[in-house]
Amino acid sequence: MTKQANFWQYNKVVLVFALIALTMPFWFPLMGGYSGLDTKIMIFCIFVVGFDILLGFTGYLSFGHAAFFGIAAYTTGIMLKSFSDNILPAMFVAVLLATLVSVMVGLLTLKRTGIYFSILTLAFAEMFHSMAMAMLQTWTGGENGLTGMPTPMLFDIKMQGASVFYFVTIVAIILFYVAKRIERSPVGLLMKAIKSNQTRLEYTGINARKYKLLAFVISAFYAAVAGALMVVYEPFVGHEFLGWHQSGEVVIMSVIGGVGTLIGPMLGAGFMLYFENVLSVDLGEQWLLVLGAIFMAVVIFMPGGFMEGIARLKKRYFTTVDGE
Amino acid sequence: MAILDIHQVSLSFGGLKALQNVNLKVEKGTTHALIGPNGAGKSTLLNVLTGMLKPDDGSVMFDGKPLLNVNSFDINQLGIAKVFQTPAVFPELTVLQNVTIPVFAARDGSFNLNMFEGRSKQRPLIEFAEQQICELGLENHMHSLASSLSRGDKRRLEMAICLANKPQLLLLDEPTAGMARHETEKTIELLNSMQDGITKVIVEHDMNVVFSLAEKISVLAQGQIIAEGSPDEIKGHPKVIEAYLGEAQV
Amino acid sequence: MDMTLNAFTLSILTGLQLGSIYVLIALGLTLIFGTLGVVNFAHGALYLIAIYLAVSINNAFGFTYALIIVPPLLFVIGVLLERGLIQRFYDRPHTDQILVTFGLAIVIQELLKWVFGANNIPFAIPGWGNGILFLHEYLPFLEGFVVYPKWRMILVAVSIVTVAAVFALLHLTRFGLVIRAGMRDAEMLQFLGVNINRRFMVVFGLGAMIAGIAGVFGGPVTQVSPEVGMGLLVPSFLVVVIGGMGSLGGAVLAGVLIGMAQSFTAPYINANTIIIYLITVVVLLVRPRGLLGSKGVFE
Repeated sequence: MTKQANFWQYNKVVLVFALIALTMPFWFPLMGGYSGLDTKIMIFCIFVVGFDILLGFTGYLSFGHAAFFGIAAYTTGIMLKSFSDNILPAMFVAVLLATLVSVMVGLLTLKRTGIYFSILTLAFAEMFHSMAMAMLQTWTGGENGLTGMPTPMLFDIKMQGASVFYFVTIVAIILFYVAKRIERSPVGLLMKAIKSNQTRLEYTGINARKYKLLAFVISAFYAAVAGALMVVYEPFVGHEFLGWHQSGEVVIMSVIGGVGTLIGPMLGAGFMLYFENVLSVDLGEQWLLVLGAIFMAVVIFMPGGFMEGIARLKKRYFTTVDGE
Repeated sequence: MAILDIHQVSLSFGGLKALQNVNLKVEKGTTHALIGPNGAGKSTLLNVLTGMLKPDDGSVMFDGKPLLNVNSFDINQLGIAKVFQTPAVFPELTVLQNVTIPVFAARDGSFNLNMFEGRSKQRPLIEFAEQQICELGLENHMHSLASSLSRGDKRRLEMAICLANKPQLLLLDEPTAGMARHETEKTIELLNSMQDGITKVIVEHDMNVVFSLAEKISVLAQGQIIAEGSPDEIKGHPKVIEAYLGEAQV
Repeated sequence: MDMTLNAFTLSILTGLQLGSIYVLIALGLTLIFGTLGVVNFAHGALYLIAIYLAVSINNAFGFTYALIIVPPLLFVIGVLLERGLIQRFYDRPHTDQILVTFGLAIVIQELLKWVFGANNIPFAIPGWGNGILFLHEYLPFLEGFVVYPKWRMILVAVSIVTVAAVFALLHLTRFGLVIRAGMRDAEMLQFLGVNINRRFMVVFGLGAMIAGIAGVFGGPVTQVSPEVGMGLLVPSFLVVVIGGMGSLGGAVLAGVLIGMAQSFTAPYINANTIIIYLITVVVLLVRPRGLLGSKGVFE
């Protein structure tokens, strides 16, 4: 009895998310979203949920997570092209490779904190970007991007349209559930303690560096899954996948939505992609200008993002009188 | 039996000799105070004990195990906890979460990959943390954020964090610095009421605090131990008076 | 590596020229960082403002007007930014500073793109700076016929003069003394009763003004398009980090080093930006504080 009650309480958020996500093809077009955009939103939900385990929990701001997204995307593309059109082996190799790279990058960049960490991650990502543009051009297609992949298959199912959407959405729901599990495990608490007071944590018997590396690698794993799915969604890899724009976009999504809340960044991802692809029709070329202004306003006035805004509204309209 | 044995420890920063051949033995279960004028090397010595600074020379043994070249978190795992001058807590976490952290550290060691452990398995640990919080009189703040506590309560919370993984040795760096009279008295009470068996090393300026807590006092001046003894022996010690007066003249 | 003396000389000059732009941007960055402790992701955007102002004034009224108007105007813009925005963030975490200046960079870039369009605007070099220099006339050890664009040499000279002026300002004036003391220990200065706030404002303005000078002379070389700002910011940041945060000498050294590394590897690696990232990673791992960084800055 209590166990069931607990299950409902802990997984309410995941179930609500699953419900909203799975019904998206029915309600999203009503607000102007074209089909395909819902899939892209789900992919970025995966990216930002993982990113929040790093930025939101440990407080480490990476400006280079496009590296893992891009590496996985290129690897998936190359695997589809030259090994098999089945997405499972392609995704497996891609995610494994990108995650391994993240262990190496994490070991090196986490030696430093604060702004040094941000700049080092940026430098690593730009390094991979340069490599894709030049030395590895034969495999990556350089400036033109990687094209010519066959239609991705999940065994006998063609990965197009609705099947891609549901595949991506199921992965997103599972990974959101995993993130929620991590959040309420001891590891989740210790990661949040890193952001709060790293010195105290070390003096409380915890090896903060290993937990930071764990958070970094988990977030890179999520980025890699998103990168691989991006190719399943649209068989093309551009060098922009590895660029700082891509990393910056994820940072903006997370901050606008509200870091450290897991749901917030997903709201941010949905908002930003909706803004970029639907509202931009009315705003024209200036959509990025408006978005930049919104982003600045959030950082200045509402550092907790949309989630803080929601919490403030709740407090204002739903608190009982004795709360004061 | 000495639980902590500091032997011939020296440390210099550039040309400045912060510690010179310091020898110090702390008996198990006692409260040992370190006093001395500003810049005498008291905090430096504490930082050597927590692994923050590496001495140039000498050795430190804790319960028969060497402490030098050991990470801070491993030192804590061996049973040494530190109370900072400014209470060091996790401000963005709740009081309960603050105290749960050391309980996890006691069970899981410095690193454990239990990423998916559910709440039901954590239940007994959380209950233990709650008990610790009640013992230190913070039960009314169980789910408040640590940042919202008063300074005195933050100090209590820090004590709760330090005591939760049952250390053998507690290092206290000026625990009453910047406190009002009544807060200081509460802190003395708290330290005196702590369960027996915990050894305490306390760095303190307030002589009232020192004399009401310490069983043994060591006096540091210019990186050297110049006197050692019971509070009564130290009170009238000419070298101690000289050391403090010397500072006053500067 | 058989390199002729001619090629070697040209590589040195190209390295100097690449380095001098990095140095000018990095100088402002490191000055602002060292004094205010603020990581300014919008510094590339200040350069962007400068080149657009410079190209507009230059093409309408002539280069002299651009030279007279743009740097002081950038100073004013810098001061306004500091008062209006940056000063709210002195007490906020560094990540928030990065985020808000990053947002500012996007807004400025998009605003300029809106007004001036996304395409490159040709920057007409004034008559006296146009043309090429016959290097073999000055350097007798060169063989045959060796030329180099005159404007790029002027850019190098301007950078040297600017760097010298900043060093003179910091080392020979009372204002500079206070700034340097503030870079070491800002709290100490508060105790001494120095009005730091006003000086912070001036330093930010100064950083922007250096970006202004860089824009006036660098515009014709880096081109005038919206991507130039971020494109320059990333390597300039790395220059600051390699040199050591808050170290002016370090920024100069690292700027030249990066410029040279890029110019000398250009014939061998087809994407010569990669060398910058490689150097950054190696330097930061071997010397975490950067080449000339001092202890305790930003740790």
